[in-house]
This record gives sequence, structure tokens and C-alpha cells, in this order.
Amino acid sequence: MNHLLNLTKKELRELLTPGAVVSVLVMVFLFMGIGSVAGNAVDEATALSKIGIVNGDPSGHWSEFALDFIYEAYGSNASEYIVMLDTPYGNNEEIMKEMIEKGLNTAYGMGPGFTASINAKTQTTIDEYYIFTNNGLLGSAASAVSPLIIQLISQSISKELISTVTDPSAADFILHPIKDPTMQGSPDTRHTYVKGEVYDGVSPAELSAALMSQTMMVPIVIMMIIMVIGTMVISSMGSEKENKTLETLLTMPVRRTTIVSGKLLAAAIVGLVYGMAYMVGMSFYMGGIMGSVGSIDLQDYGLSLGLTDWILIAVMIFLAIFCALGLCMILGAFTKNYKAAQTMMLPISVLAMIPMFITMFTSWGSLPALMQAFLFAIPFSHPMMVMSNLMFGNMTLVLAGIAYLSVFTLVIIFITVKLYKSDILLTGIGQTKAAKTFKAFGVKRRP
Amino acid sequence: METLTIKDVRKSYGEIEAVKGINFSVEEGEVFGLIGPNGSGKTTTLRMISTLLRLTTGSITVCGRDVAGEPDDVRKVISYLPEDAGAYKGLTGRSYLKFMAGFFADGEEFEKMVQKGMEIADLGDRIDSKIETYSKGMMRRLLIARAIMPSPKIAIMDEVTSGLDVVNAYEIREIIRGIAQKGVTVLLSSHNMFEVDMLCDRIAMINEGRIVLTGTPAELKEQYGAANLEEVFVRAVKE
Repeated sequence: MNHLLNLTKKELRELLTPGAVVSVLVMVFLFMGIGSVAGNAVDEATALSKIGIVNGDPSGHWSEFALDFIYEAYGSNASEYIVMLDTPYGNNEEIMKEMIEKGLNTAYGMGPGFTASINAKTQTTIDEYYIFTNNGLLGSAASAVSPLIIQLISQSISKELISTVTDPSAADFILHPIKDPTMQGSPDTRHTYVKGEVYDGVSPAELSAALMSQTMMVPIVIMMIIMVIGTMVISSMGSEKENKTLETLLTMPVRRTTIVSGKLLAAAIVGLVYGMAYMVGMSFYMGGIMGSVGSIDLQDYGLSLGLTDWILIAVMIFLAIFCALGLCMILGAFTKNYKAAQTMMLPISVLAMIPMFITMFTSWGSLPALMQAFLFAIPFSHPMMVMSNLMFGNMTLVLAGIAYLSVFTLVIIFITVKLYKSDILLTGIGQTKAAKTFKAFGVKRRP
Repeated sequence: METLTIKDVRKSYGEIEAVKGINFSVEEGEVFGLIGPNGSGKTTTLRMISTLLRLTTGSITVCGRDVAGEPDDVRKVISYLPEDAGAYKGLTGRSYLKFMAGFFADGEEFEKMVQKGMEIADLGDRIDSKIETYSKGMMRRLLIARAIMPSPKIAIMDEVTSGLDVVNAYEIREIIRGIAQKGVTVLLSSHNMFEVDMLCDRIAMINEGRIVLTGTPAELKEQYGAANLEEVFVRAVKE
């Protein structure tokens, strides 16, 4: 036989183990799942959404003109998607309340002097009203496109003015009859409702960017810690088995619970040290790339964290690390040597990646109930969501997460101790009832 | 006085029965050899005695303590040295002995135990070298020292001289002989029939999970009219 072919076949046989094939399939399904969630978020963000209109200039020519433009843009959907608000212009808090009542996230308002200003050839403004819900990367898309909508209204008015106004000194006004709210020096015409308060001069897109700069590094850091310490623990188990140090350790006059706890505690401490180091590094990195985008101070908008919040975050991260380590020790119990240990990390990586991607693209509140249950069940989701949950006062989810992680940790430690007391640690899955189950599904055990 | 008693012990791995109802006992201070071909159930038996594997049926008593019911107590009086055992390679020999001694003693007793371990290992200055730099012989001396330094009631050693050169194997046999003279019971398994003949007071031969022979080396040689244990072994396996 051709030597190259012979060698290649042998290598393929060694590389394409059932575990490796399952790994590839899991990754495919994982990305399909994440793609579906991200796709839904994009669809929601780009779908036609309801808007509210506050017309403080009801009989004015130019306000009617702007309204016609918006109605025309919405076409046949206009009656369904455009809601005229009853609250008079100027009472921002009441406008926000009416928006919440009517399920609106975005509204535009024209003041009493809208037509008069344009007639007097002075720039005017269109107010923007937003209800800020923390819906991830794509949740604030509406506020990001609002300046464009205002610009289009401005352009349509501009076209009309060109045919009627001939005064050359009014050229600037004719080109920009409505002020761009994003330009420096523009009046605070953007009003955003955040946690029961109305803040002027800020849009959800800006708040989201600032939030992302602070909360985005938590999921990334947690995923990195889990992968690093998980690999360490599983490899250490593989190495202990390969060198038979585990056999010696298990015959020492010490309770199995103590051995398990010692291993968990040491790895958790290493994990925390890694975590702090990554946090510092990542904060510099994120500060560098997001600094210009997220230049607003979240504290000004009631979105800050106090000492208790940071303690809760630390508790949650510590519990999540324990869960990860416990899971790794369980998987490590089934590994036979150092090499096999490397592939055992995949399920943990997948469990860490799913919530990381989901929390990046969308948020807890915008997920369907089934996805919420799925996300809640993954222990690593909780520390990834905790910062924004604390900022938005979603304490039920935070406390439920801590309770869940505590129970999960205890169960995992219990299972790990059970495994350490069983034969599986030495004989592997190949000799147990579980092996029969795998066999029934046609999965061969490794020799 | 019996240090180890094994009564009708069976061990199954799923559908495979590795040990099929074995019985034997080992007296205090005795060097007892468990011999048999590969896959005969030797290591499984040693692991069950060492509390590493659970018994399917039967009972094992070590110094009056039941292995299944009181594993934590059993671990206080045994010392197990697995075949091809290793040590934590990042540690030095001294740190390794300290780590292991920490499970048995503290204070002055701990210091004495570590000192005893270092004397048994007899590695000179290399006791402070990283274990990853040790030769196989040095490693085995360190592991023997680890196994003996806590003064166990019974030392269980699986293929203790396997792969060692003549000098290292000889020195390790001398160590085993020395501890037996001090009253430690030794249960060892080996494929080296010369070693078994030299060291063991009594032997049990296990084949396909069953004890097929027991007796002193002299009794067995006489029984088979054989010149050495190797011949006894081959004939017993083929019967």
C-alpha cells in the first residue's frame, strides 16, 4: 500500500474519533442556534415598529406636511403603526407614560412654533422620545436611525422651501430647516425614559454603547476564565490519571469530599486571580475601543453600581467558577489521559459561548420564555447578565440566579464526590451501565 | 493474627466478571505474593483492598476494618503503591514527601516522618531536585519511601520492581525485606518469579479471577516437582 495513504488513514482513524465528530456536530448546532437567536433579534430590530406622534402644532402647515411625509413613508401600514398621542407637547413625563401605556418605544414631537419658525426662516427642531429597555446590541437600533428619519423630513421640507423661498441669505436654512439632533450645540430634543426617570439629551443608542463598554467585558472575561481554568482542571485530572498520582491520592487517609473541595478551591482561587487580571486587561482594551463611543457617564442616568452590587457580582462570578470547575471535574473523571482531556473541554466551552453570544446580541427581556428557561439553566449565563440586571434593578433575576447557582454548585459537588467514591474514576465509563447506554446508541467506547 | 482477610470476593465490570469469588488471608508481618498472568484479576484485587474499587460481593477486612463499610479507617492503616505509579513532577522529592506526610501527621511527628522518608529514598542532594528530572529508579525509591514512611500496617505493592535495573530492583527488594522484618505486612504482586521466591513467605496464584494455588514457595515447588516458581506458574496456568 502507498505509505502516504497508509499513514493518512491511520492518522484519520486516530483523529476522527466519535468524540471529535460529536464535537464538530455540536459546534454546527451551536452556531445554528446562535444564528437563529441573532437573526430573530435583527428581524425585530429591522421590522416596522410603532411610533407615536406628539403634535403641538396641530393646524400648522409644516407640521401637517411632516406628518404627511411620515404617513406616506409607512404607506398602507400607517394607520396601524402611527399612533397620535393625546398628551400635549412639553409634558415629557406624561408623554413617556402614555407611550408605555400604548406599548410604544419611540415617538416624535413637534412644538407649537414648528410652522412659525419655518415660516420665519429659522431652524426648528423635532423632539425624540424613547423608552429605554436594555435589549442588547440590536435593541437600540430604532434610536440609531431616528436622526436619519428627521433628516429625511428635513430634506422633504427643504425641497418645498426651494420652490417658494428665493432669498439667498436663507440658503443655509433652506438646506437644513430642522436641526440635526446629533450635532454639537443642538438643543436637548432627545428625551429618554430610563428606570422611571426622563433624561434629556441622550438617546438609547448612546446609552447602549456606554452600557456595552462596561458590561460587555464581563461575559468575555467569564468565558475566558471558564475555558482557561476548565482546561487546567480537566488536564490536571487527565495528568493525575496518566501518572497514577490519583490512585495514590485516593488511598490517603482523607475524605473524598476534602479531595474534591481542595481541588475545587485551588482552581477557583486561580480562576479569580485570572479573572481579576483579565478584568484589568480587558477594561483597558474596552476603554480603548469603546471610549469614543461610550463617552457618556452612566451614573448620570441612574445606571451605576454600588458596593452591594459589586459584592453580588463577585459572589455570582465565584459561584459560576465553582459550577464550571465542578462540571470539569465530572468530565475529568471520565478522561483517561492528558490527551483525551483536551477534547473533554468542548461541552464546557459550548455552555460558556451560548450565553456570551446571546447576551451580546439580545437581552433576557426580549427572549421568548423557552429561550429564557434555556439561558437560565446554563449557570454561566447569570454572571454574564448580572451587571445589566443590577443596573436596571432586575433583582428577582439576580437573586434567583444566585440561588440557582448555589444549588447547582452543591449538586455538582455532590455528584463529583459520588464519582470520586465510585469505580468510574479508575475504570472510566467503559465499564459501567452508562457504557451500555452509549453502546445502545451505537457509540463505541475508546480502547 | 490475620492482617488481611478476603472472603468470597467478586468483582464485575458490567458483564465481565474479573474476580470470581476469591478467598485468602495474610498474617501480620508476612510478605504475601499475589501472582498470576496478565488480566487474571491481580490489580483489581489489590485495588479493592486499597479501597479504590468497590466489591461486587464478598468482604475484605484489613486489621479488623471492613473495606466496604469503613474505607476511611482502612486508608489509615494501608499504603498502596500502584504499578507504574508516578509523582507530581513539578514538586521536588522533599516537597512530595512533605505533601504526602501531611495526610498522616503534623508537628514533630510530621518532621520525623519526612526525615524517615528521605532516609528510605536515599536520594542525597537530589531530594531537592524536581521529580521530573528523576530516573525511573530514583522515582521508584521516592515512591517506596512515600509508601513506607507513615509506617502502615499493610503495604500493598503492585509490580514494584517492574522495569528497574538489577541494582535498583535489588535495593528495593532489600527495603521491602527490611520493613517486613519490622512487622509490616506486605502484599505484593509481581511477574518476576525470582523476586517472589526471594521475598514472599506465602503465595497465592490467581488465574481468570480464581485463586488456583496457595502455599509457601517451597510447598508449591514441591507440589509440582518444579525447580523454580516460574515452572510452577507456567504449569498452573496451563492446567
